[in-house]
Amino acid sequence: MALGRSRRRTQKFVPPKLQLTSMMDMFTILLIFLLISFSSEVVRMKIDGNIQLPKSTAKQDYRNNIRLVVAQDSLWLGDEAVAKIKDGAVVGLDPANLQRSVLYRKLSACRQKAGKAVENGTAEDNVILFICDKRLSFKTINSIIKTAGMAGFPNFQFGVLEQ
Amino acid sequence: MLGAKRGRSRSVDDPDLDLVPIMNMFLVLIPFLLISASFFHLKAINTSVPVLGNADGSVAPGNTVKLTVIVQLEERGIRLSAMSDEADASILGDFDAYFPKGRASAYPLDEVATFLQGIKDRYPSSDTLIIIPDGGVIYDTIIRTMDVARTGTRTELFPNVVISGKVG
Repeated sequence: MALGRSRRRTQKFVPPKLQLTSMMDMFTILLIFLLISFSSEVVRMKIDGNIQLPKSTAKQDYRNNIRLVVAQDSLWLGDEAVAKIKDGAVVGLDPANLQRSVLYRKLSACRQKAGKAVENGTAEDNVILFICDKRLSFKTINSIIKTAGMAGFPNFQFGVLEQ
Repeated sequence: MLGAKRGRSRSVDDPDLDLVPIMNMFLVLIPFLLISASFFHLKAINTSVPVLGNADGSVAPGNTVKLTVIVQLEERGIRLSAMSDEADASILGDFDAYFPKGRASAYPLDEVATFLQGIKDRYPSSDTLIIIPDGGVIYDTIIRTMDVARTGTRTELFPNVVISGKVG
């Protein structure tokens, strides 16, 4: 009895230890997930939330070139809204006279700038990154693609989601 | 006796790992990876539109006939044909085909893929395919057709895909 009491008295105060094991597990899972989705080249894009991109088996990476975004109701060149889309037609884009449209003028200006950049060696070539809603019909897209071709951009990269 | 017992019980205890430095490293790594993580994996399909230019009259050396395959996406099905400066009309006629939509009004892309593979097997130098969709065909269908045209069942089929509107 006496021995037990003295033992209890000599026990030192041990500060409670934090249980870090479960936290470590969580962090390890998070780390693995983030390492998988790590991208060395993060490009921020302002894309309409309403846009639905098509899925494809394509494996090629896109180049951060001039961006043409076609949403259900608007057309964007880079971060700038160029035209509205109403009933499947681009407002202000007359299929019979594409060269009079705002899109053509803006793309022509881009072409001149890009041409100089290619000559100077600061850009590779003139390819448009075309990001388009998967629900749009070819009738809508065709006039936009034609306008880009006429403005000096016959080559495109269609932006798609990896399947 | 008591002392010896105490010593033995102490040696059984697991040594505590000091996890604090690892935790610190994780706390630095995770925000960094969160910033550079991409949650949408955007990929690209190279394509072009037809442009006016001088015809390239050069013929590839050897017996390598190049065909250009035309895929017309119509409202009721897919029409296939081929054209070439190097092949006879009778040979080109063999590649005229029409694949109507299935019961679920879906385009028979598997059948088209098999047909394209046949063309590629006979003329392996062929690398260009022109897609001509009708106005009502949606963009998603065009992309799926492009996938079928580029990647066959066994080999790469037609890497140069050109998209064009109907003329006339």
